[in-house]
Amino acid sequence: MTEDDGMRRLSPRLLSLAIAAPPLSIVVWLFFLPFLSSAHLSVLRDGQWSLRNYALVWRLYKFDVLYTLWISLVSLALVIGIAILLCGYLRIVGHRTVEFLFKIPLFVPFVVVGHGMRVLLAPRGTLNSALAQFGLIDLSDPPSIAFTWLGIVVSLVWKNLALAVLLVLGAYRAVDEAFLEAARNVGASTYRQIKDILLPMSAPSLVVASAFMFTSMLASFSIPLMIGGGESPQMLMVDVYYRINYQDDLGTANALGMVSYLFAMGVAGYYLRTITVKPL
Amino acid sequence: MAGAVLVGFIIFAPLSSLVIWSFTRKWFWPHPFPQEMGFFYWQRVLEGDLFRALQSGFLIAVIVTVLTLVLTIPLAYLLARYPVPLKAVILLVFLLPHAFPQLPVFVNATTLLYRANLAAKLSGVVLIHMVGALVYAVWTMTAVFKSIPESLEEAAWNLGASRLQTFFTVALPLATPGLVASTLLVFLYSLDEFTGTLLVGSPFILTLPVYMYRTSVGYELQVASIAALILMLPGILLLVVLERYMKAEYLSMFGRL
Repeated sequence: MTEDDGMRRLSPRLLSLAIAAPPLSIVVWLFFLPFLSSAHLSVLRDGQWSLRNYALVWRLYKFDVLYTLWISLVSLALVIGIAILLCGYLRIVGHRTVEFLFKIPLFVPFVVVGHGMRVLLAPRGTLNSALAQFGLIDLSDPPSIAFTWLGIVVSLVWKNLALAVLLVLGAYRAVDEAFLEAARNVGASTYRQIKDILLPMSAPSLVVASAFMFTSMLASFSIPLMIGGGESPQMLMVDVYYRINYQDDLGTANALGMVSYLFAMGVAGYYLRTITVKPL
Repeated sequence: MAGAVLVGFIIFAPLSSLVIWSFTRKWFWPHPFPQEMGFFYWQRVLEGDLFRALQSGFLIAVIVTVLTLVLTIPLAYLLARYPVPLKAVILLVFLLPHAFPQLPVFVNATTLLYRANLAAKLSGVVLIHMVGALVYAVWTMTAVFKSIPESLEEAAWNLGASRLQTFFTVALPLATPGLVASTLLVFLYSLDEFTGTLLVGSPFILTLPVYMYRTSVGYELQVASIAALILMLPGILLLVVLERYMKAEYLSMFGRL
């Protein structure tokens, strides 16, 4: 009984604080504070207040911003498009092997995806090598998918499709079978069932999944680092890394970081608005 | 059937390339298959830097997992059972490192760790891993504790057990699936972590992902491929284990607070 008395003596508020403080403080110290200091560092140059960093970002990186957005949008569109149709098929018709196969990329780390895709899609990679055996590729001038934006898109789609399938299929499975049966009774094809029932009824989940994946694609680092190729353009995170690593330019790197935060906040704001609007 | 084969090809194409490369001794373009195969590179790497990187990564992952669970389980129980003020805010704070681009933040965090004399050290890497790992444990364990009917704990209290006793003998054992899931998620996250380790750990602390990056840009493709395959093994284990628990239906509420 002493333990119980001891816990009653200790104010519950204090106990809660003591329990919550350690994990929260780690995130505050090593994420929240550095996040805020980006704002401060981005307007500092040679120890003085300056907007030169942002001017540099505009001059050097505006194309990379578009490049990053382009890759993320194309990847997201492909992922969601494929997931909507594929999961519809999996939900209505079902195929356990395919469903299991699509879980595999979830557990392959990003760096492994980057390296694997590089080996597969490089000009002298295994894919071209295999295609050359069938005479589909000219060996003296092999196409290069790796080291281009297409290679990054393929890698991001490969990796994110697994998550998308999981989330979309989950949303589809939450739709009552009765609706689909009713549709089938009046002759709806699988495609119509997906388009007119599954899709509208799981739209909120799709929005959440899209927001989450888009933000993560914008912020991808290890994949573009490994498969992006050495020259411009680069995705934003690679630019930040190179700016720090090779130019030691904390100011501009943070300014570029601030730009990326703005995009992420925009997406997060959209997500919050979607989930706080009550459905009728 | 054809669909499954196509999907199988798409899923396994990059992975199989890694397998082929890891067993290669010599492979020059444009041969479709390596000229010389064998365990040559496997022997080389298991004795050298790769093994050290693997050990570091493994040790760090274990420390991160233990610390994360110890710090988050009490908090998760608190959030599940009691009306904690700002509960949603607290849960969202842990999600922040995954909602915003990590690299620029971690660049600044590295500076903070240098000032605390923790950078380029094991402790610094453990801390930077925990920043991203905590969310997996907190969110999972909170949901798991919530799903345990309070009546079971009340029964124990009625029989005279203290709250602490009840927690350890009733709540925690019932939360075992969640514990297993959290452990594996955190462990895998730490093992695979790249960005933070690259920034904080360099140049002394290497984990397998960073080692893999270094060898792959250096054109030591065999070594990099072996590292990549080893890195995949814990993931496959997690896949097999979670296959029993991770029904797609449970995730239909993902992200909706």
